[in-house]
Amino acid sequence: MTSEQHPAHPTPAQYWKIAVLLAVLTAVEVAMFYINNALDLKYFNSIILLSLAGLKFVIVVGWYMHLRYEESTLSRFFSAGFILAISLYTLVLTALGVLAVRGG
Amino acid sequence: MSDLAHDAAVDLGHPEQESTGVENRKLGMWVFLSSEFLFFGALISTYLLYSNRAGFQGTYPAEVYDIPFTSVSSFVLLMSSLTMVLAHNALSGNDQNGARTWLFATAALGAIFLAGQVFEFTEFIVEAGMTLSSNPAASAFYVLTGFHGAHVAIGVIMLLSLWGMSRRKEGLSERQGMNLELVGLYWHFVDIIWIIIFTVVYLLSIRPA
Repeated sequence: MTSEQHPAHPTPAQYWKIAVLLAVLTAVEVAMFYINNALDLKYFNSIILLSLAGLKFVIVVGWYMHLRYEESTLSRFFSAGFILAISLYTLVLTALGVLAVRGG
Repeated sequence: MSDLAHDAAVDLGHPEQESTGVENRKLGMWVFLSSEFLFFGALISTYLLYSNRAGFQGTYPAEVYDIPFTSVSSFVLLMSSLTMVLAHNALSGNDQNGARTWLFATAALGAIFLAGQVFEFTEFIVEAGMTLSSNPAASAFYVLTGFHGAHVAIGVIMLLSLWGMSRRKEGLSERQGMNLELVGLYWHFVDIIWIIIFTVVYLLSIRPA
């Protein structure tokens, strides 16, 4: 077993609160879609939407997948795949001119 | 781990651990999920590459999205992560009835999401005339969301298998409890991939300038 000390997992009530938070974030995302349609926020819209998605991602991985309560080995493996994928495809899309086009 | 220690661990029903301090199957699942980022990253990149490229014949995916409908589907899948973690929590407290109920709820929500995807695809093909071979952007859209749907379908099958096992008199054993945790990890991963797809593909609605 591990010598590391981990905080206790959330209670069912806390899981429900996290679900409400995720639902609210999703509602804000959808609202952003319509606000952007009306006001054309350009790159500000992309930044807000990607930030909200990133926040939801972190919440699900950290609390529902319990990664923040697990051994650091698991975090390292998981992060490695994510960072590798983000780096690789950012390079590829930049090289192919997709991100340059989107970035104006 | 020595052979003796290994045998003892198996005999006592304890999880097998290596020098990492993590149960082998759990580590394997996390590594598998980590590799899935590359798989879905390739599909998302392909979609981004073609969705803003002008000059293709036929309908572009961003022209036919039904955002209210997909938002409800996304909400359903998000809530299935809640029921999944409640199933895991119930089994941790040896609440077999609770685990059984939440497992079934998770499978049902997954099935509802899949039904929504089938409906969405049907609408796109029949109403909008956007098929898999309409243009590269449409192909990339169907392949990306279709592979995600296939992952959800596999998850639903695994959930229903666990639910079937949980209905036996003795309920889910400690080892099957680990199976539930692994299926849970897979299910949450499918959810986080959809979080990315919903934002990047649907809400950003990238189309040719």
